[in-house]
Amino acid sequence: MPTRTDIPAYRPDLYSAAAIRDTHPHYVRLRALGPVVWLTKHKVYALPRYEQCKAVLLDDDTFVSGEGVALNPIANRLGQGTTLYSDGDDHARRRALVAHRLTPRALRSLTAAVEEKAAEVVEAAIARRAVDGAEMAMALPLSVVPDLVGWPQEGREHLLRWAGAAFNGLGPFNRQAVRTLPSSLGMMRYARRVVRERSVLEGSMGHDLLCAADQGELLPAECATLMIDYLSPSLDTTISAIASALHLFATHPEQWRLLKEDPGRIPNAVNEVVRYESPIRAFTRTAARDTTIAGHAIPKGSRVLVLYGSANRDALEWEAPDTFDIRRDAARQLGFGQGTHGCAGQGLARLETSAILRALVARVDRIELTGTPEWALNNIIHRYERLPLQFIPA
Amino acid sequence: MKISVDYARCEGHGLCADQAPDVFSLDDDAELTYHFEDLEVPDEHTPAARAAVNVCPVAALRVQP
Repeated sequence: MPTRTDIPAYRPDLYSAAAIRDTHPHYVRLRALGPVVWLTKHKVYALPRYEQCKAVLLDDDTFVSGEGVALNPIANRLGQGTTLYSDGDDHARRRALVAHRLTPRALRSLTAAVEEKAAEVVEAAIARRAVDGAEMAMALPLSVVPDLVGWPQEGREHLLRWAGAAFNGLGPFNRQAVRTLPSSLGMMRYARRVVRERSVLEGSMGHDLLCAADQGELLPAECATLMIDYLSPSLDTTISAIASALHLFATHPEQWRLLKEDPGRIPNAVNEVVRYESPIRAFTRTAARDTTIAGHAIPKGSRVLVLYGSANRDALEWEAPDTFDIRRDAARQLGFGQGTHGCAGQGLARLETSAILRALVARVDRIELTGTPEWALNNIIHRYERLPLQFIPA
Repeated sequence: MKISVDYARCEGHGLCADQAPDVFSLDDDAELTYHFEDLEVPDEHTPAARAAVNVCPVAALRVQP
């Protein structure tokens, strides 16, 4: 039986500022090392290839989330009680409380409003000519998600900062995490107050949760956690996908032509964007028993790092993985995770990103990059912080 | 090949229907319809059906052993 000494080790810090700004070269080296790689700095088994990432995500009995999915013990303790950090029946119960509001069927009533708002966002961007695509990408999620979750108007200006901070805390406990720790606690405090004061919007998801608590289906204390559970992952992630789509179509004009010629390609284009620039870098799982991955012994209690962004560029799974091509079948990409913990908000993310692309193909002849984009410094979220663009109207 | 569908788990994302429209479809209420319930999936549809199982975001589809 192979032991840890057989597993190749990787010394560079995958979460240094430089690595966060330019992650793919690290993924290339990790994939070349093997299916399981020991990260010396973070003391975790990294899974850089598609096959093992998928197998771990689908085997949620062996690779559990209840010990936390973050890369540091503080976040793994603080996050206890969230849907993200639960397993089995407990997870199913929590997910069912909210996920039914996010199914494509439930979202149908929102579609017209989302499309209308997307058209406004695109028209405003065309009128301004020079825009920051990273900022433009925020407009739609910020107008849709807080209403759905039911946050009161007051305090919304902090949501994005809080949500980003909450994600930052799920990586290693490095400088980025320390810098944003106060903000991530701010969100928890605010959520508790919203629940205490019952200031959630009538008919929203948050309102559902309060009613469920009134009927004894969940503890009042769980309401705040569940609201955060569904709010914080629904902003930066979709903003990432929209901004990456803008960047990719600006830098791949031939792909933009293909999209304009056939807007029926939009749903798969969203898959390909999420494959190519996966919004979430990685989460962890914990082995609940002694097991093996690709023949390597993984002792009970070990933490494994599922590298979504790397799995989605694995040449063993994808032909020409570093080519952005909206014609490839990208539906099996792992950017939304998969299985029991597969992203509950992916229907909404697809709806928002598709709506922006649909509004663009109808109004814009081409998208031009007018400066150097910059990646946001975040341990978990892979998204542009600055993306200077110009939209040439059709 | 037989496929089992966990309807409690299905959230209606519809990726299976994109992969294998002859095997899965969503009705007007976005409820999943599996066309070969308790039947063998016809050979001509098995590659598409396997692809559908492979993409289900919530792993509600399983190929029966």
